[in-house]
Amino acid sequence: MDLITGLLTTAFLAGGVLALAAIGEVLAERVGIVNLGVEGLMAMGALTGIAAVTATHSPVLGFLAALAVGAIFGAVFAFATVMVKANQVLCGLALTLMGTGLAQTIGRSYSGMPAVATFEPIAIPLLSDIPILGKAFFSQNILIYLIYLILPIGLSYLMFYTRHGMNMRAVGENPAAADAAGISVNKIRFLYVTAGAALAGGAGAYLTLAFVPSWSDGVIAGRGWIAVALVIFAGYRPGMAALSGLLFGLITALGFVGQARGWPVAPAFLSMLPYLGTLGFIIVPVIAWQKMRRAMAAPAALGEPYYRNVR
Amino acid sequence: MIDIRNLSRRGFLNMTAAGGAAALMSGTFARQAFAAPLPAVKEEDAIIGFGHVGPVTDEGWTWAHHQGVLAVKEKYPKLKKILEVENVPYSADATRTYRQFVSEGANLIFDTSSTGDFLHDVVKKSPKVAFMECDGRTDMPNLGWYYLAHWYPTYVIGVAAGMMSKTGKLGYVASFPVPSVFSGTNAFLMGARSVNPQATLQTIVINSWFDPQAAAQAGTALIDNGCDFLFGIMDEAAYLQVAEKRGVWAAMWNTDIRRYGPNSYVSSVVIDFKDFYVDQVGKRLAGTWEPSQTLMAMGKGVDRDKWGEKVPAEVAKAADAVRDKILGGWSPFTGELKDAKGNVKVPAGKTMTEVELYHWDWSIEGVSGLSA
Repeated sequence: MDLITGLLTTAFLAGGVLALAAIGEVLAERVGIVNLGVEGLMAMGALTGIAAVTATHSPVLGFLAALAVGAIFGAVFAFATVMVKANQVLCGLALTLMGTGLAQTIGRSYSGMPAVATFEPIAIPLLSDIPILGKAFFSQNILIYLIYLILPIGLSYLMFYTRHGMNMRAVGENPAAADAAGISVNKIRFLYVTAGAALAGGAGAYLTLAFVPSWSDGVIAGRGWIAVALVIFAGYRPGMAALSGLLFGLITALGFVGQARGWPVAPAFLSMLPYLGTLGFIIVPVIAWQKMRRAMAAPAALGEPYYRNVR
Repeated sequence: MIDIRNLSRRGFLNMTAAGGAAALMSGTFARQAFAAPLPAVKEEDAIIGFGHVGPVTDEGWTWAHHQGVLAVKEKYPKLKKILEVENVPYSADATRTYRQFVSEGANLIFDTSSTGDFLHDVVKKSPKVAFMECDGRTDMPNLGWYYLAHWYPTYVIGVAAGMMSKTGKLGYVASFPVPSVFSGTNAFLMGARSVNPQATLQTIVINSWFDPQAAAQAGTALIDNGCDFLFGIMDEAAYLQVAEKRGVWAAMWNTDIRRYGPNSYVSSVVIDFKDFYVDQVGKRLAGTWEPSQTLMAMGKGVDRDKWGEKVPAEVAKAADAVRDKILGGWSPFTGELKDAKGNVKVPAGKTMTEVELYHWDWSIEGVSGLSA
């Protein structure tokens, strides 16, 4: 396999986990809720995935179970932040601590255990014959298609081309106006925070069922936080979130390929790349998106609980 | 002053130990001035402690040590208590863990993966307690160390790799540039070059002993680059799974984990601490324990695993012939050996000593990716 194809193949695989988690976070932040619990949700999802696949030998069931667990934790988080209107940052941190801690405790017996069944690559006829992209993208497992094609396209359409999507964005920009227009703010917020959390759980399962594929404590290794950072870089857009996940995957892949090819760069520097990348992903929007500030800006009501009876 | 290549297998070597290492380098296994041996303990009163780096379920390093713990339990069922703590980090938490062992009254404490200074602080303050550090490099009146002469089975697996690799490009998933990795990569390539002088070895350092994500990516990158035989020093099976998927060979460390890649699995450097732990505990109970330095020989604590199902019979036979030769006293680690820059490091005819092999901190010609 040539350099570019190999790099891209690994980039799609490695970026998938970030892309999926970032898409989930986009959903939550678009309706005005910051969910900092992604790391914990991913840990629980990763564990659920491996536990379910060990029990059922079906990666699809494992993935669905992880979505469900993510949704359950997300619903608790949404109840606290949307209904009770508790502080979103604190609730998110609590969710991260709880998720990683729970996964560590429950996951002891699964530690180091490889998945009995994983998502296998499915080559798409015709498309997989395209040079470079055919091998790098159209010969991957089904989750990759879900993460890079189905979800971004479907969600972009939903968010930007349907009335429901307008309602959803209105809730994130100006919940009071949305409320006055007859949109149920709490219902929409609850729905998308829960859906986003489900995707974060799915991202964890992607790790243990398609990428690694085994569970160990600390397998998420901060990728939940990176996903939160990517959302800002992606300008709160699902398509951009998938792309930035891919870009990030490319950076990590570069580190390994560089070592494999014996590039004259210190290995320590190559392993540093993901973290330098994260820094870049935070700094770039501040500088580069300046002119596009309105298009890429955060939803105006992001992080603010909505009270109908105030003002 | 701190040379990164003097790091021990699982921990960072402190500066004082560097001095101790230098003394050992000269080939002296001499014990330090030694106080009166610790008195005998009745089995019913004895408490033995074990601190592990990972979970006992890892099917690798920690699992193997845990088997040793179970063997101790079986041999000495009346022991008052066996303390076992998993996931001891390389930090002040290690100091706390071992201090806790001491305050619970432990008589003999094993640090199954060198935590260096964090352990030594406790050792110094607890002269009445015996300590053993795996992959340690420091001697104290109540601290000994033990490790495995893993370079011999590694050489044997290297011979098989040299015969089985079609491209002559071998890959190695490394944790840190530490002596275990230097001796592992060097021995592996020397074995391969004994049958294929053109063979080369590419390493990728992933900065962890246990990171399935990174190991899988490293394995993929190596295979993409033409390597068709992977070896490494990981506590999990990720790159074996990659090798299985991509149809190349792989050899592992610690335990028999062939079921994760039955077609790719060639062998493992398998480790066994059962006899050693039983022996040490017995000595401590009898009051004859002394701080010893042990490098377990091939066949006595470390060996190659039973060959994989798909390994051709003639390869297994040839590699086992080399193994028998080594068991008979022959050492493959004989000059002339050159480092990566072409400098002669071991003159022709000179054989490296066990201690030199234990402290190996440079790459031979043909190994790339470890030393800058």
